[in-house]
Amino acid sequence: MPLKTRLRLPALVLIALFVVVVAAAAVLGSKSAQAQAEQPIAFNHSVHVEELGVPCLYCHSNAQRGQSAGLPTLEKCQGCHSQIDPGDSQALQDLARYAEENKPIQWVPVALQPDFVYFSHRPHVNAGLNCESCHGDVGQMTVAEPQGDMNMGWCLSCHKKLAPERFVKLSDCATCHK
Amino acid sequence: MSETAQEKWGMVIDLDRCNGCQACVTACSLENNVGFVGEESAAYGRGMHWIRIQRYWEGEYPNITARFRPVMCQQCGHAPCEPVCPVFATYHSEAEQINVQVYNRCIGTRYCANNCPYVARTFNWFDWEWPEPLNEQLNPDVTVRRRGIMEKCTFCIQRIRKGEEDAEAEGREVADGEIQPACAQACPADAIVFGNLADPESRVSRLARSARAEKLLEELGTETKVIYLKGGSSRDR
Ligand code: HEC
Ligand code: HEC
Ligand code: HEC
Ligand code: HEC
Ligand code: HEC
Repeated sequence: MPLKTRLRLPALVLIALFVVVVAAAAVLGSKSAQAQAEQPIAFNHSVHVEELGVPCLYCHSNAQRGQSAGLPTLEKCQGCHSQIDPGDSQALQDLARYAEENKPIQWVPVALQPDFVYFSHRPHVNAGLNCESCHGDVGQMTVAEPQGDMNMGWCLSCHKKLAPERFVKLSDCATCHK
Repeated sequence: MSETAQEKWGMVIDLDRCNGCQACVTACSLENNVGFVGEESAAYGRGMHWIRIQRYWEGEYPNITARFRPVMCQQCGHAPCEPVCPVFATYHSEAEQINVQVYNRCIGTRYCANNCPYVARTFNWFDWEWPEPLNEQLNPDVTVRRRGIMEKCTFCIQRIRKGEEDAEAEGREVADGEIQPACAQACPADAIVFGNLADPESRVSRLARSARAEKLLEELGTETKVIYLKGGSSRDR
């Protein structure tokens, strides 16, 4: 018995230490996983949307027609940028290099649902929702950032609020799960 | 719950046309990312197709004919699988009036499969790998299921969803025959017809009124949505 009690304290301390280390690793790990990966080119929404007044649908033109909004191709960027002198802007020089090599730009996803979720832009855009109601004020952002939790509760509470007459369909698991 | 189940999507399978070619089975597996388990696992009873072709012999040798019956989830209006799921992963879709399996909700108790009188459910025993470039064949509209969960025919709900969404975006009703599950699309004999049973004029409704119509285990009161047409023998066709 006494031997056991003597052993217990250090064991507890060890366990506690272990728990703290694991928890810290988990917290730090998830932080770094959440921290946004850098984009291949420092694309700036506010320059294009705020200053130049380019509409969202010019670059994300599939949002009205299909499931994904789509990202602009290099050709679309070059439609303007082949006329613009990169000067000493690092980002514009990066873009010029992609254009020279004719290499597609691998943008890093920002707003992303898990594989098992079916989401489509078309019904939402057709229902008259503007992009900002889900993505925040992207036009003001220098870097496109994820907006809070786009989780199931978020989808359902908006469906309940905006389309209560169709809630049977809009809360059916098969509507959003594939 | 009402006594007679509501109707929406339904399927008619003409057994006098079916020649057992298995094209529906193949098309189904490809459309729905169903893996091929191979002979050995199939022998262990771990086969993974959502449709099976049942074969019967008719007559005595040498006057013998093979008859076939494709069997998939019968999409019961009163489904025995639904009330036994402890986590509501299988449920009756109000909107589509079919039986839906929410894969990411399923915990693999297999109660539903044990309670299915049609043995239409498939348990997934494997984590599938589709090494490059085979992953290109996967259908992005259907989840690649994990090991340890139940799966089954969904009447290709991804195609229903797309058809309804297209129609809605164009401000019209879904046309008859516009939505076809993979099996119906692939059937070379046009033995499988899919459509809206709530519309009395749809092709599937007209066929379902045929005198040759029958349902599997109708006496159980499951109100199935798959209707088989079975006439005389194939010899006097
Ligand atoms: C109802 C909320 C909602 C609205 C409104 C909305 N989005 Fe989205 N958007 C999402 C969600 C959710 C995703 C993640 C989709 C996924 O991962 O499948 C997404 C993803 C995206 C993406 C990246 C992936 C893709 O689909 O190409 C872009 C770009 C995008 N949205 C742009 C827009 C634009 C532009 C508009 C306005 C025309 C808009 N969105 C309106 C919710 C919305
Ligand atoms: C409608 C024309 C147009 C399109 C399309 C366009 N841009 Fe631009 N972009 C501009 C103009 C004008 C500027 C401002 C140039 C300046 O300040 O010298 C600019 C500036 C930039 C900058 C520098 C921003 C900064 O921080 O100063 C980058 C990077 C950039 N664009 C990338 C892109 C990429 C990538 C695409 C394609 C996805 C694209 N642009 C599409 C017109 C366009
Ligand atoms: C000049 C073209 C252009 C315009 C105009 C534009 N975008 Fe983008 N957008 C991009 C590019 C390129 C990316 C990918 C790089 C990034 O994430 O910053 C992007 C990314 C996004 C993303 C994140 C997508 C993801 O990968 O998840 C959202 C959301 C988005 N845009 C919304 C909008 C909205 C809303 C507007 C209008 C207010 C808008 N965009 C206008 C080019 C544009
Ligand atoms: C800001 C409000 C809002 C949010 C957030 C939202 N939705 Fe919607 N959703 C709507 C509206 C409005 C409609 C269209 C209703 C109509 O046309 O009657 C709709 C329609 C849909 C439809 C089409 C159903 C059909 O058959 O017409 C799907 C699928 C859908 N939403 C999925 C989602 C998913 C998944 C999410 C979360 C990732 C989500 N929605 C988040 C408002 C929202
Ligand atoms: C309006 C769209 C919508 C509807 C309706 C919906 N879901 Fe979801 N569900 C989502 C989205 C988006 C996610 C992913 C984000 C998250 O985890 O919350 C999700 C996540 C889940 C998860 C978590 C899975 C995981 O691995 O994290 C489960 C379980 C789930 N849903 C079950 C259901 C069931 C059961 C129903 C029907 C009763 C249902 N959902 C109806 C949109 C929806």
